Amino acid sequence: MSVRTIARKDLADAGRSKMLWVVTGIVLLSTAGITGLLAATSGMAAREVFALSFQLAVTMLPIVALILAKGAITGERESGSLRMLLSLPPSRRDVLLGKLIGRTALMLAATLVGGLATGLVVLTILGGTVGAVASFIGFLALMSVAFVALGVGISAGSASDSRATAVAVGAYMILVALWNLIQTAIQYGAVELGLIPAGSEPAWLQLVGLFPPNRAANAAYRATNQGQFFGTDPFASAWLPILVLLAWLFVPITAGYFRFHDAQIG
Amino acid sequence: MTHPAIKTKGLSKRFGDVTAVDSVDLTVESGEVFGFLGPNGAGKSTTINVLLDFVNPTSGTASMLGLDVSEDRKSLHNRIGVVPENYGLYDRLSGRRHVELAAELKDADEEPDELLERVGLSRDDANRPAGEYSTGMSQRLALAMSLVGDPDLLILDEPTSGLDPNGARELRNIIRAENERGVTVFFSSHILEQVEAVADRVGIMNEGSLVAVDSIDRLRRQLDTGAEVILNVDSAPERDLGDLPNVREIEVANGSVRGTCLEPAAKLRFIDRVRQVTTVTDVRIEESSLEDLFASYTGEDTTDSQPEPVVPGGVA
Repeated sequence: MSVRTIARKDLADAGRSKMLWVVTGIVLLSTAGITGLLAATSGMAAREVFALSFQLAVTMLPIVALILAKGAITGERESGSLRMLLSLPPSRRDVLLGKLIGRTALMLAATLVGGLATGLVVLTILGGTVGAVASFIGFLALMSVAFVALGVGISAGSASDSRATAVAVGAYMILVALWNLIQTAIQYGAVELGLIPAGSEPAWLQLVGLFPPNRAANAAYRATNQGQFFGTDPFASAWLPILVLLAWLFVPITAGYFRFHDAQIG
Repeated sequence: MTHPAIKTKGLSKRFGDVTAVDSVDLTVESGEVFGFLGPNGAGKSTTINVLLDFVNPTSGTASMLGLDVSEDRKSLHNRIGVVPENYGLYDRLSGRRHVELAAELKDADEEPDELLERVGLSRDDANRPAGEYSTGMSQRLALAMSLVGDPDLLILDEPTSGLDPNGARELRNIIRAENERGVTVFFSSHILEQVEAVADRVGIMNEGSLVAVDSIDRLRRQLDTGAEVILNVDSAPERDLGDLPNVREIEVANGSVRGTCLEPAAKLRFIDRVRQVTTVTDVRIEESSLEDLFASYTGEDTTDSQPEPVVPGGVA
């Protein structure tokens, strides 16, 4: 009851933020726009355009999701509306869940609109199957929600909005912008220490490659398109990256909850 | 048996090395209006934050309406109304939506318009987003939200801040009306007159401790800060007025004679003595202000006079 009320309130309140809509609109339109341009001019097949567009989306959507989510708790904490809310019956858990649901709904709406627009552009210009659009939208949505959960978890664990922003941006840099570099560094380090022979990629290193939600979503999307759902090689099938994505849905928000639960709302 | 509205036992809160609240035993009886006083940093806010389960106490217990403030917080928060300090509103949501939100979260059937009207927000105001509200209007809205669901206990943290005198008077009326319905009101303030006007009892916090709990009248009597008697005179007395029992700080200046009288009979003796030496044209008596009273407990030196005990047998 409380959770639903808070989620609805959050949707109504955050949904009225113009800044949010402008940022979301720019990102989504640019994704659809660039995809449309590719589809119309490059002579690639629909499937390749979708794959490229997916790559683009997994670098753009995480920052939108994180920005959308990182103020969920800290924003209310700084404005003082959290004190108002917690003076009423809802518990901290109710507030956190309500916020998570509200922001998730917003991000899902934006992802669905953007994904549908992109999908329709490709379908209209190049043709293709509805199934391709469905897996395109589905995995983007799952990844977006994972980043919203990460962002809300960061917000719950941060004492101030500026710290939440810094951590969210840091998370984006590490998980999305720099992960290639980090993975390469880990590989070199392991070779240097004599843990693995040069040029080899053991399972744990492949798992490192799958660790960020954007990487996991990309892998899951590729495997699904190749029909590899429960393949013998877990790194070529969809189930392992999907498990990684599900872990991102629950672990950061739980950690954030424990910090928020013990926080002094002074 | 009715539980006390608020009861703390040995309540302490330390932040690192700083003791914000030091072993406070506070009991607010059911049905009273209790004013919670103290300068900034005295531990008032921290005490209220513990009561609202915003912070955990380092030691001690706190309960309201017989319910533990932390373990039973959900059922407790269904029965109390709160205007917290430093609260914020949702800038983009209307005033009415705020009251509806409180009603939904409290599971209360409430007519938002009635409550909004009661606190003096018009229908037009209620439809505007709260981000456009003045401080006074925000304070009224927060009060309306606290009244949702007919609470048994109202906790108002600095409820008068931002209200103009008119708003403050309306607030007092609402507090009295709620109290007549049987609601216990606990409110903190640094504006002493407003506490005096409405509180049955007050508690004064200083440096983390509860230094006094009593009615204002009894506190005043205990303290005997005395009353200042100011006499306008035709001409300054030529003779020295001499020593008078229980009258001190006699001062002659600018066509007036003033003296601080520690007990009622001393005022008459003081006036009689001055009339023996000159013509008195007007008499004014200033009771010791609440600020003096407050200062004497909190050690904030707002006046130069320190309370002085009444000399026994001063009435000759």
